[in-house]
Amino acid sequence: MEKKEIIRRNPLKMMGYSSEDVLPEGGFGALTAHAGVGKTAFLVQIAIDKLLRDKNVLHISIDEPVEKVCLWYEQVFRNIVERNHIKQVDPFWEVILPKRFIMTFKVDGFSVPKLEERINDLSEQGIFLPQMILIDGLPFEEMGRKTFLDLKTAAQNLGVGIWFTVKTHRHEPPGPGGLPMPMTGIEDLFDVIIELQPDGKEIYVKAIKGGPPKSEIMELALDPSTMMIRNTDGKLAPESDRSAR
Amino acid sequence: MNSEIQKVRNIGISAHIDSGKTTLTERILFYTQRIHAIHDVKGKDGVGATMDSMELEKERGITIASAATFCEWKGHEINIIDTPGHVDFTIEVERSLRVLDGAVLVLCAVGGVQSQSITVDQQMKRYKVPCIAFVNKCDRSGGNPFRVIQQLREKLGHNAVAMQIPMGIEARFNGVVDLVSMKAVYFDGDNGEKVRVEAMPAEFREEAEEKREILIDAASMFSDELTEAILEERDIPEALLLDAVRQGVLKRELTPVFMGSAYKNKGVQPLLDGVTRLLPCPADVVNEALDMEKDEAIVTLSSNTRDPIVALAFKLEDGQYGQLTYIRVYQGVLGKGETIVNVRTGKKVKVGRVVRMHANQMEDIESIPAGYIGALFGIDCASGDTFTSPGLSLTMTSMFVPAPVISLAIAPKDNKSQINMSKALNRFTKEDPTFKTYVDEETGDTIISGMGELHLEVYIERMRREYKAEVETGQPRVAYRETITRTAEFNYIHKKQTGGSGQYGRVAGYMEPVDEDFVFDNQVTGGSIPTQFIPACEKGFRACLEKGPKMEFPVTGIKIVINDGASHSVDSSEMAFQAAARGAFLEAYAKAAPVIHEPIMKVVVETPTEFQGGAMGLLNQRRGIIVGSQDEGPMCVIEAQVPLSEMFGFSTVLRSSTQGKAQFTMEFSAYKQVPKGVADELVKKLAKDKKNAA
Repeated sequence: MEKKEIIRRNPLKMMGYSSEDVLPEGGFGALTAHAGVGKTAFLVQIAIDKLLRDKNVLHISIDEPVEKVCLWYEQVFRNIVERNHIKQVDPFWEVILPKRFIMTFKVDGFSVPKLEERINDLSEQGIFLPQMILIDGLPFEEMGRKTFLDLKTAAQNLGVGIWFTVKTHRHEPPGPGGLPMPMTGIEDLFDVIIELQPDGKEIYVKAIKGGPPKSEIMELALDPSTMMIRNTDGKLAPESDRSAR
Repeated sequence: MNSEIQKVRNIGISAHIDSGKTTLTERILFYTQRIHAIHDVKGKDGVGATMDSMELEKERGITIASAATFCEWKGHEINIIDTPGHVDFTIEVERSLRVLDGAVLVLCAVGGVQSQSITVDQQMKRYKVPCIAFVNKCDRSGGNPFRVIQQLREKLGHNAVAMQIPMGIEARFNGVVDLVSMKAVYFDGDNGEKVRVEAMPAEFREEAEEKREILIDAASMFSDELTEAILEERDIPEALLLDAVRQGVLKRELTPVFMGSAYKNKGVQPLLDGVTRLLPCPADVVNEALDMEKDEAIVTLSSNTRDPIVALAFKLEDGQYGQLTYIRVYQGVLGKGETIVNVRTGKKVKVGRVVRMHANQMEDIESIPAGYIGALFGIDCASGDTFTSPGLSLTMTSMFVPAPVISLAIAPKDNKSQINMSKALNRFTKEDPTFKTYVDEETGDTIISGMGELHLEVYIERMRREYKAEVETGQPRVAYRETITRTAEFNYIHKKQTGGSGQYGRVAGYMEPVDEDFVFDNQVTGGSIPTQFIPACEKGFRACLEKGPKMEFPVTGIKIVINDGASHSVDSSEMAFQAAARGAFLEAYAKAAPVIHEPIMKVVVETPTEFQGGAMGLLNQRRGIIVGSQDEGPMCVIEAQVPLSEMFGFSTVLRSSTQGKAQFTMEFSAYKQVPKGVADELVKKLAKDKKNAA
């Protein structure tokens, strides 16, 4: 009963998507925002939702140690159980832990062939086969289109979708079509692009590509103190955003 | 002893296994002319490093016991404790950090921040010990001190800044550029004993200036004067910069990083300068005690030699002349002939012989003043005892002693070994609070328990060598526990009323799972159980915790609430209510869905990337949950949660699967429920053992 209640609050379903599986096999999704706005927290919420549905999640982090990534999950999970007034946390945590695998790489140590080799090592031995991949912290400006094409091929072979975080810079204007500058030249590879937009004390969640049907759109925001997703209770998107579109 | 306390440094040298702590200490002793020849840790001459005085240490090339010594450098007295890196000997690190004022965190330029580096860093945090870092082995292939500095920031959260840059790296490493003076430092002579300072070669200027800016920027947070100098674009005097760095170190908000290669005799002397210039003297450290007469109110100690004595015994050693007690004096002067009081026992003792240690050799002295470490002979006490002048009732907070996670049954091979084994066990348990021994009542086996396989292996070997006690060892045993998973009520009557004085007691309430070991909550109202019998109820419940009804493992995680009961005016007694509580416990326990918990270890394997898959497979086969893998260039670090019961013999298997190139560390993480299959096996085994015993 409690697990279902937690799952009902999947961030993507809350945004208005009909299903939480918005990415097709080999599909790419991107979470974009400036540094410190909440990309990792959002991504981890998507991951935890997937884990609670008994799916395996491979969380790849660039330049962050395994322990730090673990702390993100612990923090977000704690916020989820507190919000849902769940007393006994351990049973849920014990269930999702084996389904999550964290891989961290240095920027210069990351490559698609290496990633594929690592995943094959795990799957051939029956240790872990991902059903969703998250890549957090990949420096988009330093990666060429070929890297993303190779990643797409790898994702298609595995039959998974990949969510990325994309760091944008405050001083940088949007690129062509209003999309974040780091995604210029590769935006066609992405099925969904979600932007986290700080506006005063609020952080709004907006789909800028591949969003849910207009009739289903729900206004969402991140609670700045917990980085957890919440409804805005009918509040509209910020003026600045509407005029740009 | 140096009478100026400002010129005293009590430091520890801590690190992960094989980072070079003992080699570094050997060089420090050589350059300070405490020793006159350098011997390698596992050298061909078979002598071994000075601080590894135990034969076993020399043979295995590992430090087992922490060793204390002292030396002098540029008018400063430096007391050094060299500690082990293996997590099995973690108690030695706990002890040392408890009594030291500063520490040098040694890191390998190749391995960087490794699993035990994280543990010692946590230990330093626990005792608030300021530290400086030394990146060792800069001459090794793959060595990169700046990668290590980055790891210090990312993995340990240190605000780490380089105090030097290396001139050349790996095989070309031949000195350092000091970023404070902006001069090149070379180490000449057969053993690097001649320090030559010259102008910096032009090729390093750009990098040096860049790193110096980072250093100045970081240090300016701790000095307004330095900030002003920066804003006014004045030249920055060396003393101003060093003072600012020192402030950051004392606040534990800045970690200056030195670099070198102890084995190649480079970089040690500037590190010593760093120790004297940046680490605190005893007077810089605030030491606190608890006043037992004022409800454990915190009292700040003065470190004044004229004030009453306050000292902490932190290590015991049983030698041929009796018990040697290592002691740190925080206040007053502890002199020969002085009468002091052991605050824990209340006993007065007269101080006999007072010595200062140099590894395994000692030097008689008259007294130990505040701020110093020494040793006493013939004082019977436990590790962690506080000694004070008579009339004072202060106690130092003791050190953290982790619980043992593995035990082993041992049996002497013959009668002589039996006697010697008992002597050995008495001594070892007194010296090491993480090493415990007891006799299993049912089987009569002598059980030893400790922090890991290596820990127990070392003590068995020491029994053989030092006490000539040959023992046979049984299978390692895991410290299982029992707990409950749901709430269950009880309502139990203990009644024996068959004529004459009887027994009567009724206890009602419930038990439920809780995160602590045991909670007893009395909610009885209206005197249904007379107040004087409540402690007896609690005693009865507690008695049931030692051996759980399910599998006779210790029981934890239970909250007992009593909210009703009944008594008899004549037949109720403490004994009756204890029995009622025991009965109530058994009644509810069976309904509370008890389960078995096993210790889960955090296992960190460091392996070359080509063996990563194999290493993960080994962990997976052992019911391990792999948390993640961290790519560190040529090496990969795999973190997993593995049941302790599956880890025996892992080192052998890992070694053979990775051509000996991988290593692992293991420390206790948490207790978790065992899978059904394992629980069934344990039940079968218990039944079989009982049958055999019968």
